[in-house]
Amino acid sequence: MTWRYRFAFLGIVFLFFLVVCRLFYWQVVKAQELSLIAQNQYGTTITLAPQRGEIRTSDNFPIVTNKISYLVFANPKDIVNAGETSSILSSVLGIDLASVSADLSLDKFWVPIASGVDLSTKQKLEKMDLQGVGFDSQYQRFYPEASMAAQLLGFVGKDDQGNDKGYFGLEGYYDRLLKGKTGLAIQVHDAFGRPILAQMNQATGETDGSSLVLSIDRSIQFLAEEKIKDGVEQYGATSGMVGIMDPKTGQILAMAAYPNFDPRDYQDYSEDLYRNPFISNLYEPGSTFKPLVMSSALDAKVVTPQTKCNICNGPVSVSGYDIHTWDDKYFPNTNMIDVIMHSDNTGMVFVAQKMGLDKMLNYLGKFGIGNTTGIDLQGEVSASLKPKNQWYAVDLATTAFGQGISITPIELLDATAAIANGGVMMEPHVVSAVEDSDGNTVGIPPKTIGSPISSGTAKAMTEIMINAVEKGEASWARLKGYRIAGKTGTASIPIQGHYDPTQTIASFVGFAPAEDPKFVMLVVLNRPTASIYGSETAAPIFFDIAKSLLGYYGIPPEGD
Amino acid sequence: MKKPALIIGSLIILVLVLSVVRIFISNQVSTSGVVLSAIQTEAASVKTENTILAEKLYTESALTNIDSEAENLGFVTPKSDFVLSGQVSVAFKQ
Repeated sequence: MTWRYRFAFLGIVFLFFLVVCRLFYWQVVKAQELSLIAQNQYGTTITLAPQRGEIRTSDNFPIVTNKISYLVFANPKDIVNAGETSSILSSVLGIDLASVSADLSLDKFWVPIASGVDLSTKQKLEKMDLQGVGFDSQYQRFYPEASMAAQLLGFVGKDDQGNDKGYFGLEGYYDRLLKGKTGLAIQVHDAFGRPILAQMNQATGETDGSSLVLSIDRSIQFLAEEKIKDGVEQYGATSGMVGIMDPKTGQILAMAAYPNFDPRDYQDYSEDLYRNPFISNLYEPGSTFKPLVMSSALDAKVVTPQTKCNICNGPVSVSGYDIHTWDDKYFPNTNMIDVIMHSDNTGMVFVAQKMGLDKMLNYLGKFGIGNTTGIDLQGEVSASLKPKNQWYAVDLATTAFGQGISITPIELLDATAAIANGGVMMEPHVVSAVEDSDGNTVGIPPKTIGSPISSGTAKAMTEIMINAVEKGEASWARLKGYRIAGKTGTASIPIQGHYDPTQTIASFVGFAPAEDPKFVMLVVLNRPTASIYGSETAAPIFFDIAKSLLGYYGIPPEGD
Repeated sequence: MKKPALIIGSLIILVLVLSVVRIFISNQVSTSGVVLSAIQTEAASVKTENTILAEKLYTESALTNIDSEAENLGFVTPKSDFVLSGQVSVAFKQ
C-alpha cells in the first residue's frame, strides 16, 4: 500500500507545484500587464499634460501665454447623416469637404476632424447639435502682441513623438523649463462610473512649466519694432535690426528685426526668418568696430588721444594693398580724437600698427570678439579669430577699421556696452527671473564677464565718441541738448572675393546719456538703397529711437 | 474566569461599534462622489472661463491693439517735445 500513498503524495506535490508555477506566472511575469487591466476596470488613467509656462515682459505682461482651443472629433458610427454633417463641418471649420467626408466614412469610433478650433467656432457647432461630433479642450500658444519680438521668442512646434517642443529664441533655449513635466493620474470610480473620494487622484509627477520674466521692456520693444520697420521701408533696405541693452546689468531691453514672422503661423513663413539675426548673422562691422580698437590702443598706452598720426596724409600701402579713407579725404597729423570723428581708416591703420598683432588679439579676446557672448537665446553663433600664424600685415590693418573680421551684432553691442559701463563687460541676458508653477521666483543676477579696459580708458573713449557724434558725419541727426556717445559704420559686403561698393551694411552704435548711460543701442540696416552710408540711414533711426527713450526715462535735454 | 469574559465582551462590543461607525461613514462618503464630480466639473468650467477672460484681457491691453485703437480715435505722435528746462516763474516783477 505504501507506493499508493507515495503516488498520491507526489501527485499532490506536482499539482501544488503547477499551482505555484501558475501563480508565479500571473503575479510576477504578467504582474504589470494585469495591474494595468485592473486599473482600467476600477479607474481611468489620465495623462496630465502640463501647461507650458508663460513668457512675460518686465511689466509682467504675458507676451506669450496659453489659450484654450478645441479639438473637434467625431464618432463615425454615431453619425446619422454623414453627408450633411460633413458639409456643415467643412463650411464651419473651413476645411476641405472631401477630407471631412473621408474621415467620417472610416470604420472607427474616434476620428479627429480639426484642432486649434477657437471658442466661437466651437459654440457655433454646439448650437447645431450634431450627433456623433464632440469637442476636447486643449491649450495652445497665444501671442497677445502678435508678432512682437518673434525672433527673440522663437515658437513651439512638435518633436518626433508629436509633443510640443520649443524652437529658436527663448522657447528653444528654455524649452525644458517652460514645458514642465507630464504626469499620470488614476481616477478611481464606482460601478456607476462616479469618482470615489477615497482614492480620487493618484497623480504622479505632473508639474506645469515655469514662467520666464524678461528684462525686455514692452514699450521699448514696441518702439524699436516700429522704428526699424519704418527705417527699412524709408531707406529701401532689405532688412534691419536693432538691439538695446542696459550696459550696467547686461539686460536686453529690446531686440527687434524686420522682416519677422508671426509665431502663430510660423509654417507660412520662410525658415530664414526664424533665426534671430542679432545673434545668428555674422557680418563685417566696419567703422562701428573702430571704438573697440581705439580703446584697446588707449588702454595699452600705445597711443593717447593727442597722438598724431604720421601716415594719414594719403592712402596707406600695406603688403601691396592701398588703404583709402571712405571719402578719400586725408588729414595729415590728425590726432586720435579726429581719427574717430572723421572715421579715418588710415588713422586706424596707424593705431593697429602701433599696437601690433599680439596686443590686438589680446584685446579682441578681452572684448569677447570671436566668442559667443553667452546670451540666453538659442541660435547664437560666433566666428573664431584666425590663429596668430595666419594673420598677415594687411589683416591687422583692415581689422582696425572693421573689415576682414566677422562678428554678430550682439558681440558688438556687448563690447560697446563695456565702454559705456566704465570698462566692465556684462553677460547679455534676456531673462531676469524664473517663476515656477507654485509662484516661487528665482532672480537671475547680472554677471560680469570681464574688464577689457580700465575705467579711465572707457571715460576717454566715451569723450572721443561724444565728439564723433557732435562733429562727425552724423552730427546733422544728433539730439541737441544731450551728450550721446556713438559711432557710425558703413561696411562693404564681401561678395565672391571682393567688396561690392554699392551694397553696404549701414550701422550706428552708441549709448546715452554718455555720463550715466541708461542704454546702449546698435542699429543695423542691410543693403540700404536710399543711401549706402550709416550716417544717413542707421544714424537717424538711432537718434529717433534715442529721443523717445530719453523721454521715456524722463531725462531732459541740457543746453545745446 | 470573570476577567477574560469581560475583555472578550468588550472586544465584541468594540468590533460592533466600529462596524456601525464604518457603515455610517461609508454611507456618508458613498454619495460624495457625485458631489465631487460636480465640483470637478465646476472647477474645470471656472478655469476655462478664467483662461478665456484672460485671453480677452491680454488682447485688449496689448500695445499693438492700443496703438491701432489710438490711431482710429485720431491720436497722433507729437512731432516735437516740449521740455521745461528751468523753474517757471509764477509772476514776473515789472
